[in-house]
Amino acid sequence: MPIERVKPGVVRVVPRKLTVAERLYIPKVLAGMFVTLRHLIHNLLHYKKLPIISYPEVKRIYSERFRGRHILTTREDGTTRCVACYMCSTACPAECITIEAGEDERTREKFPVRYDIDLLRCVFCGYCVDACPEDAIYMTRDYEMAIDTRARAVVGLRDLVVPPNFPIEPMGWRPYYGSLEKKGTAGGTGIGQPIRQAPYPDEAPPNPDLYRGA
Amino acid sequence: MSTLTKYSAIPYTGPAPTNREPYLPTDAAKLDARGAEIAGRVGAERERGQDLPTLIVSKERIVETLRTLKDDLQFTLPLDLWGVDYPEREKRFDLLYQLYSLANNERVRLKVRVGEDEPVDSSLPVFKGFDWFEREVFDMYGVRFAGHPNLRRILTHEAFQGHPLRKDYDPAQRWLCTEKDVAKIIPKIDPRFENVDTDFERVTLNLGPSHPATHGTLRVVVTLDGETIIGAEQEIGYLHRCFEKSCETHTYQQAIPFTDRLNYMSAIINNVGYCMTVEKLLGLEVPQRAQYVRLVLSEFMRIADHLVCIGTNLVDMGALTNFWYLFQPREEIYGLIEACCGARLLPSYTRIGGLAVDVPPDFLQQSQRLVNMLPKYIDDVEKLVDRNKIFLDRTVGVAPISPQDAIDFGFTGPCLRACGVPFDVRKTNPYLGYETYDWDVPIAEGGDTYARYLVRMEEMRQSLRILQQAIDRGLPPGPVMVDNPYVALPPKERVYNEMESLIYHFKLIMHGIQPPVGETYFQVEGGNGELGFYIVSDGSKNPYRVRCRPPCFAIYQAYGRMITGQTIPDAIAALGSLNIIAGELDH
Amino acid sequence: MPVKRIENPESIIARKPGVPPGEEAEKGLITLPGEAEREITDLAGGTYLTTKLDTLIGWARGNSLWPLPFGTACCAIEFMSMVSSHYDISRFGAEVVRFSPRQADLMIVAGTIVDKMAPVLKTIYDQMPEPKYVISMGACATSGGFYRMYHVVQGIDEVIPVDIWVPGCPPTPEGLMYGILKLKEKIERGEIRR
Repeated sequence: MPIERVKPGVVRVVPRKLTVAERLYIPKVLAGMFVTLRHLIHNLLHYKKLPIISYPEVKRIYSERFRGRHILTTREDGTTRCVACYMCSTACPAECITIEAGEDERTREKFPVRYDIDLLRCVFCGYCVDACPEDAIYMTRDYEMAIDTRARAVVGLRDLVVPPNFPIEPMGWRPYYGSLEKKGTAGGTGIGQPIRQAPYPDEAPPNPDLYRGA
Repeated sequence: MSTLTKYSAIPYTGPAPTNREPYLPTDAAKLDARGAEIAGRVGAERERGQDLPTLIVSKERIVETLRTLKDDLQFTLPLDLWGVDYPEREKRFDLLYQLYSLANNERVRLKVRVGEDEPVDSSLPVFKGFDWFEREVFDMYGVRFAGHPNLRRILTHEAFQGHPLRKDYDPAQRWLCTEKDVAKIIPKIDPRFENVDTDFERVTLNLGPSHPATHGTLRVVVTLDGETIIGAEQEIGYLHRCFEKSCETHTYQQAIPFTDRLNYMSAIINNVGYCMTVEKLLGLEVPQRAQYVRLVLSEFMRIADHLVCIGTNLVDMGALTNFWYLFQPREEIYGLIEACCGARLLPSYTRIGGLAVDVPPDFLQQSQRLVNMLPKYIDDVEKLVDRNKIFLDRTVGVAPISPQDAIDFGFTGPCLRACGVPFDVRKTNPYLGYETYDWDVPIAEGGDTYARYLVRMEEMRQSLRILQQAIDRGLPPGPVMVDNPYVALPPKERVYNEMESLIYHFKLIMHGIQPPVGETYFQVEGGNGELGFYIVSDGSKNPYRVRCRPPCFAIYQAYGRMITGQTIPDAIAALGSLNIIAGELDH
Repeated sequence: MPVKRIENPESIIARKPGVPPGEEAEKGLITLPGEAEREITDLAGGTYLTTKLDTLIGWARGNSLWPLPFGTACCAIEFMSMVSSHYDISRFGAEVVRFSPRQADLMIVAGTIVDKMAPVLKTIYDQMPEPKYVISMGACATSGGFYRMYHVVQGIDEVIPVDIWVPGCPPTPEGLMYGILKLKEKIERGEIRR
């Protein structure tokens, strides 16, 4: 599209008049079909490199910051890290977390007797993960959450708590760490996380398998 | 992280914020002087200590003040009109008018104090663009405008009772709307066609809120004479999600996901606009790295917004291939944003004071790859469509609007630039460093659908230019959040190990950010035009009032006039080109 | 006709299909919401011939869902992403997106439904011919999301019956496709008798 400068900082887009050949509909139609034919032949020849994801046979692996379904982590002795401090439910803009606290007899620690997340209200913003002071709640890369009975949408401790020594690497949105030397917050992608390399050269279309994070 | 490290002695030594002193903008003296000057010309009082020249006008004199400002001082563009409720005052409502002068590049704000049952003269004779804004104020506050031809509820439904944005309205109070309450609209016939003799019967057709070609929940009722549209009226409010009331019941930080959902095509721009408004109120300087990332992602999302606008516009005209071609680069942009912050479409990436987390290490390489790949898709669509006579027949001369009308209605953004007016907030009031890049504002002549298409295509190329320059400069080093524990959550290491950081963290989550008392307005260039945020703070953790100036609200009110005299297919093509996003329109 | 199981071999959490949620959780196996795959073990009162016919009809219906995207807000954009070539719902026979309720059988409510729009939704649902299915997509359609406000319907359950709820804000296109495949399974198994 030809552009002409009007003044510094402003350009005007000036369409040219149509030529005689373009006024007849056929040449332009043929040119357009040539463009689509070029795409078709390119796709047929480079079938393996098509930028498509054939779910459910191929599942795209999202990054290490993906905000999927939540989990509650446990310590090595089996108790939940969550101490029912109510910070996540205060930080949640959707008010979807319901907690009831109880006292642990042996260690005098608070722990959640009831911890419900209403998945239908949750907007998956990650504020609960940012707000937790105990490293207790993480978000995974799981997005397959469709349900057919409404009561099952409220996930409680049974569905959220994971066993101890759960691998952190395949998790999604996690509490982010800084470094004590640097001033400011959120300085890195996480302690001990291997960084993602740029996996492919410039021309190749993205292959979903190469979106492996961590 | 479970073992205690030595107590780290790095205390915070910055200034402690206070929300007991009022907010004072940095160049208050200059603004006050200009305000005094304008007030002298117009004959009104001025208010001190505001971030824009502000005049206090009595409600009897508002129309003539607006006329003087428009004619003598060249404040020709009506930006916004909204209200604020102060129930403990005797005259409880504050009506705020905001005008912009294209010639002098300045904004002025007018305040009118109105009591509960006092009508105000409608300013429609002066500015056509305040039409729907006055209806919205009536809907939300109950202030009547004398002389308004169509003072009905606009955002809430017909059976709604009460006025929601008043402070004594319970936010969760809903009213039932049944089929009987759907508004029966008979559009007024345009004066040009009133006395035309015709053999045909006049038909009223409803292009309803659930329609493939109205993108989202827009409703247009047209009166047809044969095939020609002789009268049209739009009805909105089918996605009124109460953004402004939600912000009053949530904290400043919790309002960020709500801002995402305003213009959901380019969500980061809304985040940036809101966060910059709050940062202006707090007087914060955001680190360079965060500004850079905000700029890069804003431009990517602007490209994404235009891609969808053009793609869906072409689908409405039957050109389906371009839709597939234009959605593929959008997927790539989603991939970049998802790698940065975890969600594809509605990221909530910015926080007040910077960004939520730092970008991943390969951010620049991915951005470069995107910038290399995007022109191919845009070129393909151009080859298919630009010089195609069918497309030109369908878009040239369709739904034109003259520059004077566009300015009078309050148009901003690509729709105004398509009329030949080079107004872009990134050039007139630069933010995030836009003035340091070498780029141009595209304009086109004619104001019709083809011109809007041309402007959007060229804007995408200019955005790619900015992105290439930004990538060449490289990512500035440093933190992505300000170093102020009253605003930013401390890093998790310090929270787990230090008592002070834990207390700062606790206070920020439970009590939130508490800015100084005051009000401020800030504007960014959204995908559709000037996206402005106006925030009133009373020192507590919840904002007292958040107002979002939606650019497509002003644009859509002119739609009825633009399509009279055309046919229904023209109306559909024009609607696609205006890029009306219902989330922003109905806020 | 064997029922296609949706396995998730790369899931990070080991699952035991066929078990109702809650059991075995303490052993480290978790059943996520919606994951209990129930087997139909009896003929539910029909005869051999009618069950084979039912299976055939279920197969035909499940593989030719014609969606009516009742898209209001941001979830409609993710629906559009799912329809476009990157994820492509047309592999499951659902390419024909019909905006007319007379011609569609699957209504995907994508986006917030507000009180002003609720009568419109009800009218469109009533105009659809049987058999009809409804998927409620996203947080706003399923429960009002984080808009507990004066104008937002707190879940389209208030207005129309729903078959599958898909949480997310917005749900990723694969998440929505998972919901559609779940619905397809339910139709093929004959659990929806409408």
